[in-house]
Amino acid sequence: MDDALNGEGFDGEELHGEEVRGEPDGEPGGAFDGQLGDGPAGGEPDDGFTTALEEELRQAAAVLDPMPPELLQIAVDAYALHDLEARVAELTFDSLVDALPVRGVTDAPRMLTFTAGEVTVDVEVTSEGLLGQLLPPRPAGIEILSGPQPGTPVTVDEMGRFTIDRPPSGPFALRLRTGSDVITTEWLRA
Amino acid sequence: MRTGTLPSAAYDDVSYTRGGTVDRTDVGALVQSAADGDAAAWKAIVEGLGPLVWSVVRAHRLSEADAHEVSQTVWFRFAQHLGRLREPDKAGAWLARTARHECLKVIRNQRRLTLTDDPLLLDRVSEEGVPEQALLEQEEAAARNERVRRLWQEFEELGERCRQLLRVLIASPPPSYQEVSAALGIAVGSIGPLRQRCLRRLRARLESRGTA
Repeated sequence: MDDALNGEGFDGEELHGEEVRGEPDGEPGGAFDGQLGDGPAGGEPDDGFTTALEEELRQAAAVLDPMPPELLQIAVDAYALHDLEARVAELTFDSLVDALPVRGVTDAPRMLTFTAGEVTVDVEVTSEGLLGQLLPPRPAGIEILSGPQPGTPVTVDEMGRFTIDRPPSGPFALRLRTGSDVITTEWLRA
Repeated sequence: MRTGTLPSAAYDDVSYTRGGTVDRTDVGALVQSAADGDAAAWKAIVEGLGPLVWSVVRAHRLSEADAHEVSQTVWFRFAQHLGRLREPDKAGAWLARTARHECLKVIRNQRRLTLTDDPLLLDRVSEEGVPEQALLEQEEAAARNERVRRLWQEFEELGERCRQLLRVLIASPPPSYQEVSAALGIAVGSIGPLRQRCLRRLRARLESRGTA
């Protein structure tokens, strides 16, 4: 493999490695070299090349790895999701981030908690679907959203519990209607 | 009402000061307009900052499917928070940071479960030829494609930190350093020097292959 010829370090370390071309280099902590009037006085001849190379790379990215058009459309359509009336229940606990992993347990369900004022929604995501509980319990209509389209309605029992038999694929949110209140949980990918 | 697209520093030869020429000051106004019901303003935001979000997810080497879902999640959440952002003029940084957090969750989840596929970007060279063009133009285009392909390959083979930094920097329109900082969790002050190093490295690789 010719890659070895270049002697580039592996991950992480490379930026501390020997400078490839032995050029003088501003140490970190210096100015944004190359950005703000970096001229010959900066110790390095004008680095116009970096700007040119970056621009060339930018154009390459635009050809080889652009934002997919269908994704752009989805993002444009997502405008329908803005709703200044609804309250947003923020994600206040996510076991993926906030819980310590248990040794040997690889398929622990994902536990999520969303909070909006006095209302808490606990959700457990398993391979079978979602188990949730609205606290304090109250009559509510809940739907699970997967995009701007209307969601699938879910029934809530008198303890505030609800079940969804299918794990969400892709982003999801729950929309709760309780009294005159509309609450949506923060969009998340399960 | 302002509903144009975000200005782009893009593709002329004029060198730009990072984050200066890309006038992000309009972002705050666009966010406000969108929150007030202006769909065209929303579209302008998506077009101006969508590529940044995409760059962030790609910088984290998510698979195609994960990259799509994370991007969607970010935009859905942004729509949800529209009108509630504390600093609407920093919407770019908000998006970049949210994308980063979601990417890190995906990566964490993958470690917990199994490894997934790697994106095979090199197979995705645009093959959308323009069939009716003159042969000469086609040859020129082929040579250009080849150079672009090689450049991309060298870029992909850079060390992980450089690849990641550059992938975000080359979003179009170019992101501000504040946005890059939010996208990667690195200090604004270190971006310039790192950028220099990484581009120098890339150039060295190209030169050693006689591609420069």
